[in-house]
Amino acid sequence: MLRLEDWKIIFAAVGLIGVLVLASPVLSLVVRLPGGERFSELYMLGPGRMAEDYPFNVQAGRDYLVYLGVVNHLGGAEYYSVVVKLRNASEPLPNGTSVTPSPLLVLYRYSVFLVEGQSWEGALSFGFDGVVFGENVSLVGKVLVNDAAVPVDKVAAWDSVNSGYYYQLVVELWLYNATERSFGYHNRFVSRWLNMTGSL
Amino acid sequence: MNVLNVRFARNSSLLLVVFLGIGLLLNGVLCVAVGDEASLKIGEARDAIGLAFEGVLVAEGAGANVSGLTVRLDEAGRVLGDAETAYGEGNVSVAFDKAVQSAELAEGVKNDAVGLKSSALAGAQRVFRLSLAFCVAGVPVFAVSLLIVWWWFKRFYVRKLLRLKPEVASDAKA
Repeated sequence: MLRLEDWKIIFAAVGLIGVLVLASPVLSLVVRLPGGERFSELYMLGPGRMAEDYPFNVQAGRDYLVYLGVVNHLGGAEYYSVVVKLRNASEPLPNGTSVTPSPLLVLYRYSVFLVEGQSWEGALSFGFDGVVFGENVSLVGKVLVNDAAVPVDKVAAWDSVNSGYYYQLVVELWLYNATERSFGYHNRFVSRWLNMTGSL
Repeated sequence: MNVLNVRFARNSSLLLVVFLGIGLLLNGVLCVAVGDEASLKIGEARDAIGLAFEGVLVAEGAGANVSGLTVRLDEAGRVLGDAETAYGEGNVSVAFDKAVQSAELAEGVKNDAVGLKSSALAGAQRVFRLSLAFCVAGVPVFAVSLLIVWWWFKRFYVRKLLRLKPEVASDAKA
């Protein structure tokens, strides 16, 4: 049999828990608990919306399709810009250490608004025009991105190790800073190598 | 007579060339002006979207559900993208129209965000008052009830204790 003092402690504990439960609606409005880890997802899928069958061997006059996706886990509504670029093997990629984007020409830009936990997926169709092959070099005159033609005049040297003329499709994620009223590179990018095989 | 005709023909040709020149010049100036206007409008639409998003953030901070607004902002951003594409391809009039459309969509979102913020604030205040009333009334009622139960339990416990008969164990030492 429990002593009276032990029962007293049990009653006090029940009383404390009861007060906390009754005060919880007000406490939840005043006290903000820290959330989980905050980050954004950026991904690229193949034409079947799966992580497979990505375009690799490409040529002029044909259309290729990939899907881009963004998921917001930053804890509130966010305004993203998904930026599409094309580089050759010698041009710089975005720098994760210094958080700087690639200084390449922007081919296309998606504006994406997402609330916490929401995801976005958009189609990116692309093709090449004005492709010329020279001695150990290839030149892409225009890139067609979602039916918009963008002149690039990009040269790729012959890669003797991997046997091809390699270009890289780079997709960067930028985030709108409401305080500065401008976009900043969000230190996320995805890319796919493309081997230019024909000019048609 | 022939000399007059030749002079007239020369003057007419000269005038035609001058008019054509002025026409081309005006056309060029107008094209540049329209192009500049489209570029300005695209910039305005971009700013309008940024401001609308800031309004959405404020409404969200007030506790409003802003998913409907972000869907509309997505549409404004898509139309702005179309305007930029059209501008890049030299379709300045299409670019101008799309930029105007985008700015209007963004303006609508901005205005609705203000309304949503007000209603969210009012709702949040109502919820806060109700919660506070529930807490202010509930905690004392609970505390008094618990004290009464404790008082009753203590009496019951003491009575039960007094009713117990002391027993001497058989192996107890005297």
